[in-house]
Amino acid sequence: MFQPLEHGCTLKKGDEALKGYRKYFLNKLFWFLLTFVAAFLLNFILPRLMPGDPVAVITQKVATGMQSQAAVQAVYQQYAEQFGTNKPLHEQFLLYVTNVFKGNFGTSFSQFPRPVSEIIKASLGWTLALQFPAIIFGWIVGNLLGALAAYLKGTFDKFVMPVSIFISNLPAFGMAVILLVVFAVNLRWFPTSGGYGFDMIPSLRWDFVRSVIHHYQLPFWSIVLIMIGGQAIGMRSMAIYELNADYVKYSRFMGIKDQKIIGYVFRNAMLPQVTGLALSIGTMVGGALIAEIIFSYPGLGTTMLSGIMGQDYPLISAVTLIITLMTLFANFAIEIIYGIIDPRIKAAQSD
Amino acid sequence: MKKNLNVLFTLLVLLGIMLSACSAPAATEAPAAEAPAAEAPAAEAPAAEAPVAEEPVTADTLPREQTMYFNGLQWGPITGWNPYSSNNNNAMAVNQQDNALLTMFETPYAYNMLSGEFVPLLADGPYAWDEGMTAITFKIKSAAKWSDGTPITADDAAYTWATNIKYETNAGVSNKEYIDTIEAVDAQTVVVKAKLNADGKAVNPLLVANYLTNNYIIQKAWTETLEARSADAAAFKADPAEDVVGSGPYKKFFADETKVVLERDDNYWGQDASMFGKLPTPKYLAHIMYKDNAAGFTAFQAGEVDVSQQFNANIQDLWLKDMLPVSTYLPEAPYGIGASLPTAFFNVASNGLDQVAIRKAIAMAVDYDTIIANAMTNQSATFTQVPRSIMNPTAGEQGMYDQAAVAELQWTGKDIEGAKAMLDAAGVVDSDGDGWREYNGKKLSYVALCPNGWSDWQAAIEVVAAAGKEIGIEITTNFPEWAVYQTVVTNWPLPEGYDIFMMWSDGAGPAQPWARVRKLIGSEFAQTQGNWNGNWGGYKNADADALIAGIPGMTDPAEVKAAYTELTKIYLTDVPSFTLMYRPQNFHAVNETVWTNFPHDGDGTNPPVPPMDLVFGWGIAGLYNVELVK
Repeated sequence: MFQPLEHGCTLKKGDEALKGYRKYFLNKLFWFLLTFVAAFLLNFILPRLMPGDPVAVITQKVATGMQSQAAVQAVYQQYAEQFGTNKPLHEQFLLYVTNVFKGNFGTSFSQFPRPVSEIIKASLGWTLALQFPAIIFGWIVGNLLGALAAYLKGTFDKFVMPVSIFISNLPAFGMAVILLVVFAVNLRWFPTSGGYGFDMIPSLRWDFVRSVIHHYQLPFWSIVLIMIGGQAIGMRSMAIYELNADYVKYSRFMGIKDQKIIGYVFRNAMLPQVTGLALSIGTMVGGALIAEIIFSYPGLGTTMLSGIMGQDYPLISAVTLIITLMTLFANFAIEIIYGIIDPRIKAAQSD
Repeated sequence: MKKNLNVLFTLLVLLGIMLSACSAPAATEAPAAEAPAAEAPAAEAPAAEAPVAEEPVTADTLPREQTMYFNGLQWGPITGWNPYSSNNNNAMAVNQQDNALLTMFETPYAYNMLSGEFVPLLADGPYAWDEGMTAITFKIKSAAKWSDGTPITADDAAYTWATNIKYETNAGVSNKEYIDTIEAVDAQTVVVKAKLNADGKAVNPLLVANYLTNNYIIQKAWTETLEARSADAAAFKADPAEDVVGSGPYKKFFADETKVVLERDDNYWGQDASMFGKLPTPKYLAHIMYKDNAAGFTAFQAGEVDVSQQFNANIQDLWLKDMLPVSTYLPEAPYGIGASLPTAFFNVASNGLDQVAIRKAIAMAVDYDTIIANAMTNQSATFTQVPRSIMNPTAGEQGMYDQAAVAELQWTGKDIEGAKAMLDAAGVVDSDGDGWREYNGKKLSYVALCPNGWSDWQAAIEVVAAAGKEIGIEITTNFPEWAVYQTVVTNWPLPEGYDIFMMWSDGAGPAQPWARVRKLIGSEFAQTQGNWNGNWGGYKNADADALIAGIPGMTDPAEVKAAYTELTKIYLTDVPSFTLMYRPQNFHAVNETVWTNFPHDGDGTNPPVPPMDLVFGWGIAGLYNVELVK
């Protein structure tokens, strides 16, 4: 009597949990899709709302020095036809949607006739190689420093805390410009711009790799330093909170080794920091573009800037779409994982 | 759950350790380079430079002493090598305009902006007009070869023209009103037949001859290959042409998002005694894409750039203060040869700007010396040195009008009293006592504009605005983004708020000064849409039109001079626009850390090599004269 009842009860509980989770998941998925559609629309429309005529810009570049008025107008018409900018906006949108779902982002205006996908392919690698390690490295060092500051207190904390606050509050471009002026322009330890030496041709040679590493330093540290500051502050306050928690005091009374306690504390304080990491990775492509632009690093940021300057609708739309998707996926993934890790969140949400 | 978390956390820490291990050497490398600051570059330099003389060149490095670096020409990734396309964005390889780019492709003649002559390049000797000036005949050098070793023939020239027409390339659409056909008489002889008007005369002989210096001859065989793989005209012109065959001294070598490199063609036909007699000195021509002028300037200062086509403010500081081996074409201000006239246009539809007195008063009041000293850091001749006209400051053009005849009309600026008197005499006075003059009962208030970020122009426009205040005319400034600005000014009618605005004028070229004059005051461009040519202010003058139409057909130099003098009179009397400064065709500063013997004024070359960055027009001859410093 007793046994089956308990058995039945657990079954029911499991079922309910699953049902709750499904509801939670579908709810999140719905909002994910809705946001996606809205973002997709905005990606298409916003660049096209900019004043100015990109086809005119291209025509001007080509037409300088041409002697015939009719000829210049003919050139303009050719381009307008080719880019479809003379079609109504809704037709352009339909064309865009069909193409995007075929994986075709169209032809760039400013770098005509290069396909947008090729331009992005050429720069995406540089961005990922710069930002991913920078974010991970900054996150780890920041959290370690934060945890140590909370645990060691005293002078260490008094040093780490203000420095972290100072650094994390510097705008990204400020940090990049300071590094550029101090280490590249004044001290000349590092190059001012580019992804590799001006006299190099990319290849898998030691010279080239060394040159890449050399050029990598300033943009890398301009991202890492800010990341470290922000993470350290967050981790420190979380860790202090945890260190004063009852279970820590209890463990101490129990005579558990400090090291073990620190382990517990660290793990509990980690949770919000993991969210931060996931978000950083999600927004990575859009997040630290400034470092790339300031150091003329050949990544997506520089590409996007030149796209915006050239009113290159297809290029702008494609880059912002990538940023949108990565941010959305990161957020979605966090929500889903949180639903699994922390049932309280799921419960609160699905009620 | 806790176990899951444990695993997740362990994974993260592991990942972190791995990555920090990857990053750690980078981190420690920085201080390592810090301590012996001088050592780091020293260690690197020999690695790249020392073995260049002996070591065969690999595809991986560009030996500094075999490479000439440029800046200020290429600002974004190149998109192709197709000479039929107008938008390869490939400033090191394709450019068919006045002073055509002659690195990979060649024109029959190279234009020399210093002397105005057509120097035979692919052509053998000078060209000749027939009796009635309806056709030009020239021969192609027998030594001229394509990079694949086949000879260049008259057939190639004829086929290039036919292709330009068939596929409506820029070269085709911009010349078909003036050129009827280009035909091959025999393997060597080319005839360019002009389009004729109703009287049986060439529509515009000047622009027919212009074609010979501005447009390439492209290989027929390669063109046919390109045609075979192109579905339509759009595909034909959009083809990146990686397999292109040229005739110039360089061929494509490497290009990515950050740089473009050309490599010398050691079989170049021009080493024949009938042309240069040798190969150009640098094995590689390279251009790094700097994000802006500042980045390019830093590299130029550091000796990473040899030839700079950028506006480098206060260029003289580089040799006077920084003691760098930097020089310009002229040793003193204006440092270069002024060729184009950045000009402020009056919108004649704005209240009062249809009045000559108001236009001229504003132009007279402007302090041009300040513009030249501040905006151009003296890299322009002053209007005392080169009096105002429609000619550029080159000696050739200055001799094409009667300076004494227009002296009365010229002004040098900052003439506040003269401007005030002129307005008073015209009855344009301040009648309501608010400090601003009125016309037609409305306060004279204008907006002066130029594109945002064009800092030298912006500084100039501010000086124009300041002049207005001095003479009781309110002028405010506005700096729209270029994309917006140029869409507006190229389409008539101009909206409100576009009263006085800056645009350019033509520089030095085989059809100059005629083309410049036409674009400054010719009515054919006035009040039109899609106008990228000129006369954006909408000024019309039938007398000027008649003179402009007549000049191309004139053969008597005295007659031509009289016509230009008359046009200058009209321009300076009516002031539809006014020049704010002189600007060189190309900026041309060189850093002689690695290379030396660049073209300089009075360097003894004959014909003189113009300061055209060693790649444009006859400037290409400079590549044969440069030598290594050591």
